[in-house]
Amino acid sequence: MTGTGRPGAASCKVLVIGLGNPHRGDDATGAIVAQALCGRLPADVRVVVRGSDLLGLIEDWAGFDGLVCVDAAAPLGTPGRIHRIDLLARRLPKRLALTSSHAFGLAEAIELARTLQHAPRQIIVYAVEGGSFDCGTPLTPAVAAAVHVVADQIVAEVGRLRGTSGRVTQAGYCGQTITRENDECT
Amino acid sequence: MATKSIRVDLLTRVEGEGALDLEVSDGRVTAARLNIFEPPRFFEAFLRGRGYAETPDIVARICGICPIAYQMSAVHAIENAFGVTVDGQLRALRRLIYCGEWIESHALHVVMLHAPDFLGASDAIQMAREHGEMVRNGLALKKAGNELMRVLGGREIHPVNVKAGGFYRVPSRAELAPVAENLARAHEIAVGLVRWVAAFSFPPLERDYEFVALRHPDEYPFNEGRLVSNRDLDIDIADYETEFEERHVAHSTALHSMLKRRGAYLVGPLARYALNFDRLPASVKTLARQAGLGSVCRNPFQSIIVRALEIVYACEEALRLIAAYRPPEVAALPVVPRAGTGFGCTEAPRGTCWHRYDFDAEGTIRATRIVPPTSQNQPCIEADLAAVAASILDQPDEFIRARCEQTIRNFDPCISCSAHFLKLSVHRT
Repeated sequence: MTGTGRPGAASCKVLVIGLGNPHRGDDATGAIVAQALCGRLPADVRVVVRGSDLLGLIEDWAGFDGLVCVDAAAPLGTPGRIHRIDLLARRLPKRLALTSSHAFGLAEAIELARTLQHAPRQIIVYAVEGGSFDCGTPLTPAVAAAVHVVADQIVAEVGRLRGTSGRVTQAGYCGQTITRENDECT
Repeated sequence: MATKSIRVDLLTRVEGEGALDLEVSDGRVTAARLNIFEPPRFFEAFLRGRGYAETPDIVARICGICPIAYQMSAVHAIENAFGVTVDGQLRALRRLIYCGEWIESHALHVVMLHAPDFLGASDAIQMAREHGEMVRNGLALKKAGNELMRVLGGREIHPVNVKAGGFYRVPSRAELAPVAENLARAHEIAVGLVRWVAAFSFPPLERDYEFVALRHPDEYPFNEGRLVSNRDLDIDIADYETEFEERHVAHSTALHSMLKRRGAYLVGPLARYALNFDRLPASVKTLARQAGLGSVCRNPFQSIIVRALEIVYACEEALRLIAAYRPPEVAALPVVPRAGTGFGCTEAPRGTCWHRYDFDAEGTIRATRIVPPTSQNQPCIEADLAAVAASILDQPDEFIRARCEQTIRNFDPCISCSAHFLKLSVHRT
């Protein structure tokens, strides 16, 4: 999306992607966090919800300097625990096994984009440990409680990536448009 | 007596969940079973009691890769039951959205899933290190197909704009202009893709398939035609159940489709190509000859060339349809339900997708039957696996495993969209 943004603050183009299937319990985390970010980020920060195959986004990533992804992670015993992974410093840990029902999930898409030199320089992944991924169920309480925590962290993260404080009270920080691209899985 | 097992724990380049057991005795393959153990999804059951107008959006959820195939077969069946004929620009738009599905589905399979087999790469990521330009091209092709789906279908996956009688909304010419620009570029890429895959090394294998596909008097088939084969089959789609049957097999939760009189048959690109070569434009025929193909291709490994040719065809057809497009006066014809049975059969990227619906007078579904392409190809997949394995039993297990996986990928199987691993066991006695 485009918007007014803060003058001088758009030197780092940032994309935020919420991943997940909104109809499968805690897999909806990414989509719901993206919704919670509505109006809280600078207007020139694009927010996208994706439910499945990420291949279509790879070419778009080339135009961004920073990418923030939020997704549900496989249960590790603490539903709602938030993991922040800076991919400049480390790879996506396999133990988190970010949930994807298709062949090209987040890890594969990032690795492919990097191989093709289409990946943003800075990629930060927020992985929220899930508790249940049953069809047609809402977020589990622990994960629901984590939604606004991780949203706050992403607001600050975007500010850091853009070299600003991330405070969200100034004019131009409202009117966030969330693009839902294929927001549902099979 | 010695027993040996080879196991593949993770195969990420097919759509679905299954396992393969090879039984080898005295140096011969005695059984090749593709075990599909994913749970049934009950679409046919929960369509009962639903209204005809809901059907296109429900059946789209059967597949995230080829939702248009299910939507198109459904709307044709509904219109068949209610005596509605969609023609002119609305019919053309249906072909156009189908072009989008073929382009995105074939591009995904040819470049990202199948090509690594021929280049000794474990996946598209590893392949991209040496062949980055082709991977970029594959992504660009997929994007062009997805864009067509989005403009006509409302979104790329599980489109929401298809209805009985036509569409909820039709595009303007201006909306299609940028799509055409991308398709022109996609066409160039697709021609290069045909030449690239044609240069691969193909295992020497010729299979005596009974090809089954739609055949239309004038067109390379998407939405309409009679069901024909290279043997003596030539039937109206309404007569499908007199010639074909689905059988339960112990090792699969998916039904196996068979020709009642002869058994296994093949649907998909090789079948469409063999039965409709004369319906291709001269440009695609010439490209096929340059790629080393005749009018029939029986080597399943060369299906990758035929898929690439079908991408070229879909790009050309889409450009032709867009050039001739004039927005219709109405987005959909009126549909008045009546009691009856309707049949639909269209060509999904993986082959014929056949539907039957029984409606009451209000248009509520009383019974339905849906036969997807991969269900039809399962017996052929097993026959191919047996044939391929028999020719390489003296090779190391790792080689046999890789070749068997490649053999399965020749079919671009869409077992389901929910999981993706294959366990392969070879039992030698």
